[in-house]
Amino acid sequence: MSILLRNIIRFVLLLLLQVFVLNRIQLHQLVGFNLYMLFVLLLPFNMPRPALMLLGFFMGLSLDSFMNTMGIHAAACVFIAYLRPFIINILSPQGGFETTQKTPSMTSMGVSQFLTYIAILVFLHNLVYFPLEVFNFGNFFYLLLKILLSAAASIFLIVLYELLFFSRK
Amino acid sequence: MRNLIIFLRRYFNFFLFLLLEVICIVLVFRNNDFQKTAYLNSANNVSARLYERYNNVEYYFHLKATNDSLVKENARLHNMLQSSFDNASVSDIVKTDTIHQYSTDTSRKVVSSEVRRFLYREAKVINNSVSNPINYITIRRGSTDGIKPDMGVVGPSGVVGVVRSVSDKYAVVLSLLAKGRNFGISARLSYSREMGTVRWYGGEANYAVLEDVPKSVRLIKGDTVVTSGYSALYPAGIPIGYVESYTVADKSSTAYTIRIRLATNFNNLQYVYVIDNVLKEEQKSLEDSTYRLIK
Repeated sequence: MSILLRNIIRFVLLLLLQVFVLNRIQLHQLVGFNLYMLFVLLLPFNMPRPALMLLGFFMGLSLDSFMNTMGIHAAACVFIAYLRPFIINILSPQGGFETTQKTPSMTSMGVSQFLTYIAILVFLHNLVYFPLEVFNFGNFFYLLLKILLSAAASIFLIVLYELLFFSRK
Repeated sequence: MRNLIIFLRRYFNFFLFLLLEVICIVLVFRNNDFQKTAYLNSANNVSARLYERYNNVEYYFHLKATNDSLVKENARLHNMLQSSFDNASVSDIVKTDTIHQYSTDTSRKVVSSEVRRFLYREAKVINNSVSNPINYITIRRGSTDGIKPDMGVVGPSGVVGVVRSVSDKYAVVLSLLAKGRNFGISARLSYSREMGTVRWYGGEANYAVLEDVPKSVRLIKGDTVVTSGYSALYPAGIPIGYVESYTVADKSSTAYTIRIRLATNFNNLQYVYVIDNVLKEEQKSLEDSTYRLIK
């Protein structure tokens, strides 16, 4: 399957999953389940940065239009799309990752590298998303707890997703 | 010039990033009421003092312009008073829709004839959320079915929300579960007849808070909280919730904070009624013109 087709399918799948399954789950008001940012995280390594940001913007805006929260998801998505190349640069070994596989995954990056990569970006995503959503800095501790717990939930979901669609190439 | 272009090209990514983020933030503030009010409130707190000082100086330089604008404002208000009298004649058409009540004895005299005030339209709920800070409900009734913004919406068991925006076939209802300083429903305790305001502060979808009830009132657990009928949105006496527990926030406070269990179960909302207050225009124009007179 070509990379393009794979990403289009992932886009639609993640959007539907987010809107119709994950947003309906209420565990606790401190925990929000977000998985849609995985689309940005799994775009190919060699993608140019403007394209990354525009795709992130598009993904965020599509989700926003479903959830009546114009601009909040888009802002967070563009933010992580912008910072993604920096994080990959820091985590990549000398000379970059082997290019047998073009997208970030546990096999192409190594398990610990990949986990660090998603943990950092999911945390950064929440760092933008929840302050914009809650928009009340009076209760700082509540905000921080919400960011951390939701990041943990998202990382858990991403690991599940990776194990489910694990490719051995 | 060449240096400028080189500079722009070198930092193209960063500028694109900034541009996209600015678009996002503009969208957030233009389309989301909660963020807008929260921002405006905090902005006011910070800058009000500064503006006041500046305005004190600036005021003298604009006296002439201020005078002109006041004259224009007067003319506009005069026009509005007349137009409000025009609007009042609409009720003549409405008054044809009446109920006559007859006395029970043989004479069958007309005891009273009442004018229709509320018109209910049923609507199917097609989208609903309860877990966001501000929750919206989409219903399958739109402007072609006579739905307009700012109509009250009730469910089979109690109050649901207010119509926020309308398209041809659909309408979006701002749910009672909307966390915001400026969204509250005027309510009344049905036993003690005391007034208050119902607000929702996030969290569980089946509990809200009734505020502004003075400490002097004797409260009963399980008492029904109903709509007051003072707002033009809902008729009086529609259940909002039931008193669950009550506390006084702090010793100096003069009002109870009452936790109420909501009458409507927002998790399985299927059908709602949109309430059209056919006399609302008349009531509103009368009220507004009175406010303007007092101002």
